[in-house]
Amino acid sequence: MQKQDIYDWIAKELAETFEIKPALIKPEARLYEDLDIDSIDAVDLIVRLKQATGKKMAPEAFKAVRTVEDVVEAVYRQLQEHGA
Amino acid sequence: MAWNATAVRVGRAALFALGFMLFGLGGALMQLVLVPLVFVLWRPPQRAQVGKRIVHRAMAAQVWLMQATGAMTLTVHGREKLQRKGLLILPNHPSLIDVVILMGLIEQPDCVVKAAMWRNPFTAGVVRMAGYISNAVGPDLVPTGLESIGRGNNLIIFPAGTRDEPGQPQHFQRGAANIAVRGLAAITPVIITVSEPTLTKRSKWYRPPSHKPHFCVHVLDDIELAPLLAGHGEAPLQARWLTTWLEQFFSEEIARHDPS
Repeated sequence: MQKQDIYDWIAKELAETFEIKPALIKPEARLYEDLDIDSIDAVDLIVRLKQATGKKMAPEAFKAVRTVEDVVEAVYRQLQEHGA
Repeated sequence: MAWNATAVRVGRAALFALGFMLFGLGGALMQLVLVPLVFVLWRPPQRAQVGKRIVHRAMAAQVWLMQATGAMTLTVHGREKLQRKGLLILPNHPSLIDVVILMGLIEQPDCVVKAAMWRNPFTAGVVRMAGYISNAVGPDLVPTGLESIGRGNNLIIFPAGTRDEPGQPQHFQRGAANIAVRGLAAITPVIITVSEPTLTKRSKWYRPPSHKPHFCVHVLDDIELAPLLAGHGEAPLQARWLTTWLEQFFSEEIARHDPS
């Protein structure tokens, strides 16, 4: 999975599962401040990621994420670690 | 006349000061004697249950005292609805005393409280003993809250997360709705009104209201969730939708019950 694919998947998920306006979804958008994604939503997102990729996602890897781009990076690294 | 009004106000300030003093004294006694005793005598999970009952009694005593001394009056409508187990109770939050009144009315109250209370030396022992839920638990709020309700506690969450701004529309956090949509059949709304702004977010404790505050607690009928959530997608969307619905519901109910 390439970073662009991961980004597209997250953008689609944000728009569909959380009904975030697509115009707001950008790599630099901050999850909490700009997109109103709270910590409970973040856990939901990670669970969905696990289901979609069939790979393990360590919750600790997402502790410091602030923007959509950060999530893409964290997912990319997780996929590398657990064999993409 | 003006002198009289001032005298009454000074008298009320003295009553409030007395109330705070006794609350502080009771708190200190609890911290220094009861809390250590409970920690020695009970292990988890019984400890938290015993702790919750002790806090319930202490709060009920405080409310009785405030009424007996004439610092405030209180009317409760629908008290019997609180005599059940495993409720998620959502109140509005006009005054500092709300939580004292509610915990005094509810036998086994659990509560989501400010994380700062675990660091405040006056409250640290009590919140640990009673095993309350910190508002800093993040996503663990959902499993922790559901588990507490499942054990038969009545979980109080102030959905606004802080005291109300008088006259402002209600704005809620999504935590309570997230607990509700992920495992509950119903929620119990409580509307609290006060005849005089009393110990609000902005008021100072040493400047009490000019008239004796009358608190009114209206325990409303349960809100059944299934019909409300039908057709609103999965949990994340349901929680968003329920939060907006509750903001509207509370704003309307507060306006309907508010004496002023």
